[in-house]
Amino acid sequence: MGGKGLRFPKPRRIILYVLLIVFVFLFLLPLWTDFTTSFKSIHDIIYTVPVELPLSPTIEPLITAFNLMERPLLNSLTFTVVAMIFSCLLGSINGYILTKIKFRGSNTVFLLFAIGVFIPYQAVLVPLVLTISQLGLYNTLGGLILTHTAYGITITTLLFRNFYGLLPDSLIMAAKVDGAGTWTIYRRIILPLSLLPFVVAAVFQFTSIWNDFLFGVTLARGSEAMPASVALANLKGTTAFNYNVQMAGALWYALPVLIIYLVLGKYLIRGYMAGAIKG
Amino acid sequence: MESGGDRKGISSFELSPEGLYQNSLWAGQKMRFPFRRVFTRETMVNLLFILPSVVLVGYFVYVLIGWNVVVSVSNWKGLTPSYNFVGFGQYVTLFHDPEFIKSLTNNIILILLFVPTSLGLGLLLAILLDSKVRGEGVFRSIYLLPFSLSFVITATLWAWMYNPDVGVINTLLKAIGLGFLQSGWTTDPSIALYCVILAIIWQFSGYTMLIFLAGIKSIPESQIMAAEVDGATGFNLYRRVVIPQLRTSTLSAFVVLMIFALKVFDFIYVLTGGGPAADATYVVPLKMFIETFLRTNFAYGAAIATILFLIVLAIVVPYLYFFIWGEKD
Amino acid sequence: MVNITTKNLTKKYGNTIAVKDLNLQIKDKEFFVFLGPSGCGKTTTLFAIAGLIKIDAGDIWIGDELVSSAEKGIHKAPQERGIAMVFQDYAIYPHMTVFDNIAFPLTISKVKKDEIEARVKKTAELLGISHLLNRKPRQLSGGQRQRVALGRAMVRRPKVFLMDEPLANLDAKLRVQTRTELKKLQLDTGVTTIYVTHDQVEAMTMADRIMVQKDGAVEQIGTPDELYNHPSNLFVAGFIGSPEMNFIDCTLIEERKELHLDAKEFKISLPTKMPSELKSYIGTEIIMGIRPEDLHESESAEGTTQENAIRMNIDLIEPVGPYLLLHLNVGQIPLVTTVKDIKAKAGQEVIMEMDPSKIHIFDKKTTKAII
Repeated sequence: MGGKGLRFPKPRRIILYVLLIVFVFLFLLPLWTDFTTSFKSIHDIIYTVPVELPLSPTIEPLITAFNLMERPLLNSLTFTVVAMIFSCLLGSINGYILTKIKFRGSNTVFLLFAIGVFIPYQAVLVPLVLTISQLGLYNTLGGLILTHTAYGITITTLLFRNFYGLLPDSLIMAAKVDGAGTWTIYRRIILPLSLLPFVVAAVFQFTSIWNDFLFGVTLARGSEAMPASVALANLKGTTAFNYNVQMAGALWYALPVLIIYLVLGKYLIRGYMAGAIKG
Repeated sequence: MESGGDRKGISSFELSPEGLYQNSLWAGQKMRFPFRRVFTRETMVNLLFILPSVVLVGYFVYVLIGWNVVVSVSNWKGLTPSYNFVGFGQYVTLFHDPEFIKSLTNNIILILLFVPTSLGLGLLLAILLDSKVRGEGVFRSIYLLPFSLSFVITATLWAWMYNPDVGVINTLLKAIGLGFLQSGWTTDPSIALYCVILAIIWQFSGYTMLIFLAGIKSIPESQIMAAEVDGATGFNLYRRVVIPQLRTSTLSAFVVLMIFALKVFDFIYVLTGGGPAADATYVVPLKMFIETFLRTNFAYGAAIATILFLIVLAIVVPYLYFFIWGEKD
Repeated sequence: MVNITTKNLTKKYGNTIAVKDLNLQIKDKEFFVFLGPSGCGKTTTLFAIAGLIKIDAGDIWIGDELVSSAEKGIHKAPQERGIAMVFQDYAIYPHMTVFDNIAFPLTISKVKKDEIEARVKKTAELLGISHLLNRKPRQLSGGQRQRVALGRAMVRRPKVFLMDEPLANLDAKLRVQTRTELKKLQLDTGVTTIYVTHDQVEAMTMADRIMVQKDGAVEQIGTPDELYNHPSNLFVAGFIGSPEMNFIDCTLIEERKELHLDAKEFKISLPTKMPSELKSYIGTEIIMGIRPEDLHESESAEGTTQENAIRMNIDLIEPVGPYLLLHLNVGQIPLVTTVKDIKAKAGQEVIMEMDPSKIHIFDKKTTKAII
């Protein structure tokens, strides 16, 4: 059947592909240079153009960068995974309650959560710092976990609500008639059906939390809990290290997200779309 | 059918799952509370499940926002919190602060350039990819990749791109003989902001492309066939049939872009720190951060944050209303 | 003169053959129906004639023009074939008003503004939707949307109407009403029409001729009368007519120089004037077909040995309104018949007769009809 789309005759389709490939270059250029520069020695930096491959590749910059960022990377990994798990679980429960156990004002509650997705975090930053330090969680992984979980719930609830909204109500009704209570229904009916939204939410949350900088730089500047994002920013800010180390640092920091993107990318895409398209 | 007619007294509804459900709800209502209450025991249990989240979000979002407003009308300066009420003094100061005006102006320029261009570029990419391209998925993943990266990473990458001495752009220009186009880029106060804008367009176009692509693909095939039979192909097809139906997608992408443009901080902080020349790339969130955490003018920073919050609210609330309540549309 | 001809039309999707070697001649001004179950190839054939899909083999002519030829590499774009189409889901543009929707094809062909207005208004009047011209599709009911889709097709004054199950999404009552209107419209406008449906009632009531398809091949082409009274094979016989024809396995035997059908539970004697081909089937198993309305309650009194009178049990009586549907059985053989009235009740016996001139006989292996 005829598909939609520009129906160019054969020669014109070449223009289409040319355009697409040009864009590929434009989009990948910065990443490519990151890659090439990470493997260059100082000598190579001076004598080669950034886009060129290194003359004599070395993993020196990568090692240096890793040594500088080892602790922060570990920190990031820890609080990201924990906060991701918490926010996904809570988001799932919220989504379930808001869609299947409707009560007066469930739409309002959801609206209040949804607003939380969009607020600029600057609007809570000052009192947030006060709260975290008063709780004794300043410069700790716990503080970051708490923060990211709290704000993560807003988006995970959105994701799960969208998904659970598509489940037929009759499933729940049949279970209730069979005598199942709320928690049982959640555990035995909803949860088993939730693999997809969990993956989407987990991937989305991991990426968001891992990529965060604002909370990191405000709440955890000490090395005990410094996230990798802040470490990289510091690395970039100093003049002590050359571009190859900076690029290598960026590569390390980007690595988990890149892996997830390559392997689970389509779930991440679904997460992006959920924020924009209803239902 | 002659056989199996309605038996007296019990309608088929009451025997259906819906009927039984309604009846059990009703029974639940009568159960423990002799006085008529809205809340049944069951509802209370349900609310319990959602309680931790409500508490967390309620506190971390709404309480803190309120607290922030309170701070903004205090005179807190320096490291010890002080809550003396000083009215809207901070806000007044804001509008006489040249740095703030500059931040606001920069933000507006950023919005005016970033939002339409990202939308346009995304639309273009979506249309290109909709043409039954081989390897559509690969292209799509490549264009979307920048969006999935942290702003710290992309800022670091673009710092390297824009470096005037050994950076990627300048050396490339030199290499292909366009050396005269070299520039200071982010070290040049007059164009630094535009360099920033270009970089974030690069980062976001994949996202808008994604939204538009989904919108395009949601148009039923039969409409495209009908248009084809009617004689609308290629350019006409997009202009008159496809694009007019992308209104919802455009709106969604627009809101996301707008909000980002208002709160963009990470990227600029890492790439330029606000400079060059003191405030060439200042934007409101950056100004807020600097005031609050570098200059410890907490109340002043809180005021900036409140203004930022109000602007975003004005965009988000109507948008959410449209989506949650307008779902019948 | 707009007739439509296909020669050896073939369309494959990967390894599946959707339409196989189709040879078809549709006459000018004919209301021609493609009938068949889902997946039989009727929609594919329609789309091929429309030019929405390319064919793998064969030729298609619309009028005098060769619009598609696989061998010669010809494929005329849909808008150049002078066709108009109505889709099952109407495919009207949600962002345009009714007026703009109907006017759309005219604006593409750059017709002048006042002419567009005149034609759209006239078409809307014909379809009774003049009062809806300023509305948007989402404000319309299903039936109204369908008329908009029709309007958009009609306004171009096409040579051919192609309709893909346009009534499928309407509720039953509206469907019957619209059916009549569509048929009247076609008679008034005289435009050659191809109509695709899986509903045999629609086909029977609307068509001048019907093509029954199954799995990409043609089962039979003919007028409704031909298909009903002279189905050429088992499939057509069972597909057309509601309630379905009764099929009974039996053996053709010769007794006392007469031919009989032996169904073990009963025997039917055939009239003497039978085609000679039948004789070759003596002794073999065949399938007998008799339509429900061709079984009657026997008028003769009990006990008389009337030929072809069979004693049956009534399983169920379903009142349909204008008649009663009787579910009978003779031993293990189920039968269905329609009667106006009956005194017996479910569980009782009744003596039924079949009209021997209405018996169909099918070859068990090839399923082709012998009578």
